[in-house]
Amino acid sequence: MLLLMSVAGIDSLRSLRRLNRVSREVSQRYSQHSQALETVLISFHVYDEQMEQFLLTDVIVTNLPARSDVSSGSSDVHAAVAKYPQDCSPEEQSLVSQIDQAVKAEESAFAGTQLWRASERKERGHIFIEEQILPTRTRVLGLADTVSHLNHQRLVSENQAAADEFLGLQTRLSRMVALTLLAGLLLSIAAGYYILRLEQNGRRRYLALARSRQELEGLSKRLVEVQEAERLSISRELHDEVGQTLGALLVDLGQLSNFVSPSDTIVKDQIARIKTAAESAVRSIRDMALLLRPPMLDDLGLIPALEWQARETSRRSDMEVDVQAGELPGNLPDEVKIGVYRLVQEALQNAATHAHAKTAKVSVKHEANNVDVEISDDGIGFQPDRTRGMGILGMEERVRQLGGTFDLRSAPGKGTTVHAVLPIGGSN
Amino acid sequence: MLEREADLAVVGEASDGREAVSMAKTLKPEVVVMDIGMPNLNGIEAAHQMTQDNPQLAIVMVSMHSDESYVLRALKAGARGYLLKDSAEADLIKAVHAVGSGKSFFSPVVSKMLLDDYVRKLKRSGTEDAYDLLTPREREILQLIAEGKSNKDIANLLDLSVYTVESHRSNLMEKLNLRGLPELILYAVRKGIIA
Repeated sequence: MLLLMSVAGIDSLRSLRRLNRVSREVSQRYSQHSQALETVLISFHVYDEQMEQFLLTDVIVTNLPARSDVSSGSSDVHAAVAKYPQDCSPEEQSLVSQIDQAVKAEESAFAGTQLWRASERKERGHIFIEEQILPTRTRVLGLADTVSHLNHQRLVSENQAAADEFLGLQTRLSRMVALTLLAGLLLSIAAGYYILRLEQNGRRRYLALARSRQELEGLSKRLVEVQEAERLSISRELHDEVGQTLGALLVDLGQLSNFVSPSDTIVKDQIARIKTAAESAVRSIRDMALLLRPPMLDDLGLIPALEWQARETSRRSDMEVDVQAGELPGNLPDEVKIGVYRLVQEALQNAATHAHAKTAKVSVKHEANNVDVEISDDGIGFQPDRTRGMGILGMEERVRQLGGTFDLRSAPGKGTTVHAVLPIGGSN
Repeated sequence: MLEREADLAVVGEASDGREAVSMAKTLKPEVVVMDIGMPNLNGIEAAHQMTQDNPQLAIVMVSMHSDESYVLRALKAGARGYLLKDSAEADLIKAVHAVGSGKSFFSPVVSKMLLDDYVRKLKRSGTEDAYDLLTPREREILQLIAEGKSNKDIANLLDLSVYTVESHRSNLMEKLNLRGLPELILYAVRKGIIA
């Protein structure tokens, strides 16, 4: 489209310039020719008058034309004719030369008047005027008129040509403009459609993405729920089924040892060994069950469970854990309790095993419908933008699902702080 | 096996919490040995109700949890003894005797755990043991309280006014950052002041 417009523009500019030049030339030429003709006519007129006057006068008066004036008059005419512009049509040229010839003819006729006697002058003079001067005058004037007419015609026709060309240009230009407008319109319509289609596509893709993200979140939440339910059931079963059985076993063993005489060392040793093994099994079961789902969480509440977790971690690792907790509402939703518990569990685990921390602090506060949890350790730290282990991702995901905010601050050598704010009071 | 003890007589057995509470009311025993996880009404709740009816009642709580938070909860409910489910017979008998005479008793495993935790914490954090800030008189009174004596008893024993005893008591609680009797008892177990 731009090409069209530029082509049209250049074309019209050039044409206009040319038209301008041409019209100037035309009018120039016309005036040139007219003026030249005028000059010829004037000089002829002078010459003619002089001749007439010369022939009419009886006596030579000082300020009346002499023969020499007449001849110079005729040569003026010739000069004027010679000066007539060359750039004229052959017609024009021949007409002008005819004028010249007429004058020449008249000249030679006039030359003959030199032979006149003074007495014949008047009479012959009138005849000469009648027979030569008048007809010549008429002829020259007629020729000049024709030339003028031709000139004028040329002017008119040339002007007309210019006007036609201008009209042609106008038409071309308006056609070009119309074409360009049409092209532009088509282009914008096409662009409009294209954009609309793009938008639709984009929107469709976005919706699909949003839907799949929603699905993912739902699945992820479901996964966590299923996981927790599973852990709870395993924990309970371990405790109730296996734990009880082992407990009963120990009681029976205890009773059995009563029936053994103190001197029967072999049996006693055996019983002692079985007892040790059973006790160790009981401990393992208990630990496993506790790790999976501490009953304290359900029995005593979140804070006692966290305190126990702190003690347990302190016992099992080189890290000392301290818990600072404010008052929490008694009706915390289950998912929040578990969420906080698991978060602290994961964070403490990381602090002990990966960060090799010496101390860790867990703080739990109730602030404006939220539970604020912070776990900080004095371990070796890490770069959070470089490493994001599964554990941290899991924490983040959990917190996010509960509608909370999660942030983690750490730097090598500067320890780590895990911070989460979970809303309570009817989210989800 | 309790019945084999000469000075002990079993006066009743209940199979759930509610039964236990009503039987305690009617039979008025000196000592109750109770499982925390009873059907219908758990041990903690039952203990609350029983001590409300009879504040002199001595309760030994039996639980499978050794964690101090459970112990604390039992103590707060009014128990004076805490036994683990897999305790030896001998411990049970000791527990009954101890709480019967107004003292407290904890499973050795529990005591050991409390002590170990406490020592480890002290070692690691390097903080001073606030016990060192107590005056000799306060330490005396601490022990007596942990053993189960009332303020009046202590006043008599040490030949002080009840008012003095009370003031010592609140001071030492403050120094040791203890809120309430159950926590004091736990602390005493940790420190090894009582068994």
